[in-house]
Amino acid sequence: MESKLTRGGFAYPGTTLVYKTGSWRIQRPVHTHRNAPCHSACPAGEDPQAYLALLDEDKPREAWELLVSINPLPAITGRVCPHPCESVCNRGQYDEPLAIHSIERYLGDQALAKNWAYPVSPAAENAPHVAVVGAGPAGLASAYHLIRHGLQVTVFDELSEAGGTLFTIPDYRLPREIVRKEIERLLDTGISFKSRHKLGREIHLPELQQEYAAVFLAPGVMKSNEWSVDGVTPYDLHEGLHLLKQWSDVASLPAMKSAAVIGGGNTAIDIARILNRNGVDTHIVIHSSLPDPDKPAADDMRAIPREIEQALEEGVQIHDHHGVKRLILRGEKLTGIEILRMRKLPDEEGRLHRVAFEGTESILHVDQVIPAIGQVVDAAGMETLLDGKSYFSVDDWGQIEGKENIYAGGDAVEGNGGTVTEAIGNGRIAAEAIAAKLRQQQLPTINKSEPVHFNSLNMEYFEPSSRVEQVILSVEERTCETEIEGGISGLQAAHEANRCFACGNCLRCDNCWTLCPDSAVLKTNEVTFDGSFYVFDYDYCKGCGLCASECPTGYISMVNE
Amino acid sequence: MNEDTQTVTPETLMQLRKNQPRFEGLESGHRACLGCGEALAARLVTEAAGPDVMIANATGCLEIFTTPWPESAWRLPWMHSLFENTGAIAAGMEAALKAQGKPTKVLAFAGDGGTFDIGFQSLSGMLERGHNVLFVCFDNEAYMNTGIQSSSSTPHAAMTTTSPPGSARMGKQNLKKDILSIVAAHHIPYAATASVAYPSDLRKKIRRAMEIEGPTFIQIHSPCPLGWGHDGADSIKVARLAVQTGLFPVIELESREMIGSMPIRNPKPVTDYLVLQQRFRHLFQQGDVRAIEELAHIQALADHNIKHFKLRGEGMDAQDSDGADTVCRGGMRWA
Repeated sequence: MESKLTRGGFAYPGTTLVYKTGSWRIQRPVHTHRNAPCHSACPAGEDPQAYLALLDEDKPREAWELLVSINPLPAITGRVCPHPCESVCNRGQYDEPLAIHSIERYLGDQALAKNWAYPVSPAAENAPHVAVVGAGPAGLASAYHLIRHGLQVTVFDELSEAGGTLFTIPDYRLPREIVRKEIERLLDTGISFKSRHKLGREIHLPELQQEYAAVFLAPGVMKSNEWSVDGVTPYDLHEGLHLLKQWSDVASLPAMKSAAVIGGGNTAIDIARILNRNGVDTHIVIHSSLPDPDKPAADDMRAIPREIEQALEEGVQIHDHHGVKRLILRGEKLTGIEILRMRKLPDEEGRLHRVAFEGTESILHVDQVIPAIGQVVDAAGMETLLDGKSYFSVDDWGQIEGKENIYAGGDAVEGNGGTVTEAIGNGRIAAEAIAAKLRQQQLPTINKSEPVHFNSLNMEYFEPSSRVEQVILSVEERTCETEIEGGISGLQAAHEANRCFACGNCLRCDNCWTLCPDSAVLKTNEVTFDGSFYVFDYDYCKGCGLCASECPTGYISMVNE
Repeated sequence: MNEDTQTVTPETLMQLRKNQPRFEGLESGHRACLGCGEALAARLVTEAAGPDVMIANATGCLEIFTTPWPESAWRLPWMHSLFENTGAIAAGMEAALKAQGKPTKVLAFAGDGGTFDIGFQSLSGMLERGHNVLFVCFDNEAYMNTGIQSSSSTPHAAMTTTSPPGSARMGKQNLKKDILSIVAAHHIPYAATASVAYPSDLRKKIRRAMEIEGPTFIQIHSPCPLGWGHDGADSIKVARLAVQTGLFPVIELESREMIGSMPIRNPKPVTDYLVLQQRFRHLFQQGDVRAIEELAHIQALADHNIKHFKLRGEGMDAQDSDGADTVCRGGMRWA
């Protein structure tokens, strides 16, 4: 209302709304969506805080749908992922990190139990067709994301069943019926699956290139690295991955009383635990170190720390910082190995190399030595792409360097950590790139911004709350078949979701709205363009910064006018 | 909402402002400083008390910054009294409404100067006569409006323009007056303290007082960024620390008896609170033994409060100094 001065000092009353205190401001508050640490750390690209938010609102199905819009195999990764998300969870600096892997597994299992349909529709008949080679996690994830992008997909695999390396993970970690169920549901989204099609045998790369708009290669690493000690091997040498496959296929192992597994990756741990369960006196010999939270992880064994811990509990003997010096043979039959201590030390130029220490030799009396020292890509049918290398070299989007429309992902790619989750991430990213390419669109930008630091959160607004732990079978109860870790209940999942800080995102807690001295924060009924439930009224905001300092999640920041 | 430019149109904003899911007795556009604790406190009070209330407001910051002639930030019937007669004005308003048979509750607003010192006599009379008035004291611990002069609410050792630290003394020599006990000694049914750092607790107490027929009194600790010398963004933090250190006990009295308090879960050292404020900067001067003594004195005052009002919590409590401001997704606060 306009104020009007008349005789006698009378004026029409007006509210102070006519006076825009916003002109005082030198800094303005803005909503800044920032990556939660869990999101930045996830090799698959999940944003756990986002689906935890939905679960916290008692929308488990929507939570699952959001989860599978990134990772279509949550029941599997919820069991086997080493969950780097939890190591970086900001809540870990307050009390205990969120049990994200338990939630992921819970949502995955709920979808299996309730048969929730994947939120995708099959591609149109005239949509471009993409070939995927290899039906492991990378291949399946890429196929699913290609379907999501409205493309047709055919997945080829040399085996009779889709799943790839997932089936070499022992049942006590990942029950095969879970793998089968989840993959079956995934294939039902419209993925065409051709089993017993091996590259270089039934199918050939040039034909695929001709017949399909793009090719995604996820063949895994099927060829074991050669292993010997000074050129010597026992005549009955069994390789770790081969034994795991044999165990997985026919549930039997060669007769042995004692064994030394050479290597420190997940294959080494898995086969050692299975041998141990079958009554074999099992040793692991590894030149790197056991994980120790107090020491830098640079030289740690590559296996998941949780699995190493369980293997030790079960009685597997791990000789860390040891290498094999000599095989002790009677004829060609092994009767023992001589091991000695080793350390990784810098040389004159500062490069690390392994040094064996004379005088530390000891004998392990074992009748089998089982190398599990890693595998490389089986080049059959892809010789031109590998060019003599052990792995594929790809760019940020999974495209094989210098090869148009050929992408690769999973363990076959150079520098990969060899986890299921990373393979799924590779598949998704390549699918995004393929879809953009085929539609002649720009590639989406990769958000590599710094995740929200613990210091930008306001801990005054949270209460300590204990982390939900899965039930773990005692060592005596563990068998080869029964899953060691149990799932969590719906109530536990809800409790856990409620613990999430929602780092860098709007918690809709009303703090800014409640605490603004100038009523310059307005609450909205529906979610606003920036993903919050509040708008700043810059006509009146004086820029005091109270909302930013009291925002519990670091979602509000002050920027200069 | 215009998605293309990601801005909100003025019309949408005004529509939103009219449809906020709370009663707002105090509108935007008032001239309070950045991060003003008193402006926030006044809004929280009217939110819980309104809309069927009338206000008598003593001279002071609140009166000045809400009513720059010819505008008013109040969306409630509001009357400016003198510094010294808020109690009397409120008593008269209450008597008049009573005579007319109207149920409207009268609120009296005053700063610490208008309550502890200048308005004390009329407040005392109002309380003694038993008027049905809720008297709210916005305690920012000095005469901020006139230029930060010391009041009887100014805490010990604080610097104001009339209690400058120097060779003779370290800020204010005397202690902060225990107004709550004095007020409660008038045999009134309800007297309480609250802090802007704990809005749920504050609103709960206002609602409690509104239900009571008779004189009630609430003292709200309201940081003043200008007078206390802290960043406006830290107002809530400072207010919270005043509670968490034990320097500002959050308590409730009914008929002179303490019936409730906000327990302190983990008492913080008083230096956490003092160091944020320029009015205590002389206490952090290196090599001044008087400063060390004053810091020890203030810590002793906090410890005494904790002991005297039995503020030490026993374990975790949802309503204690750490739990009472907990937030959750969706914004459902406990009061």
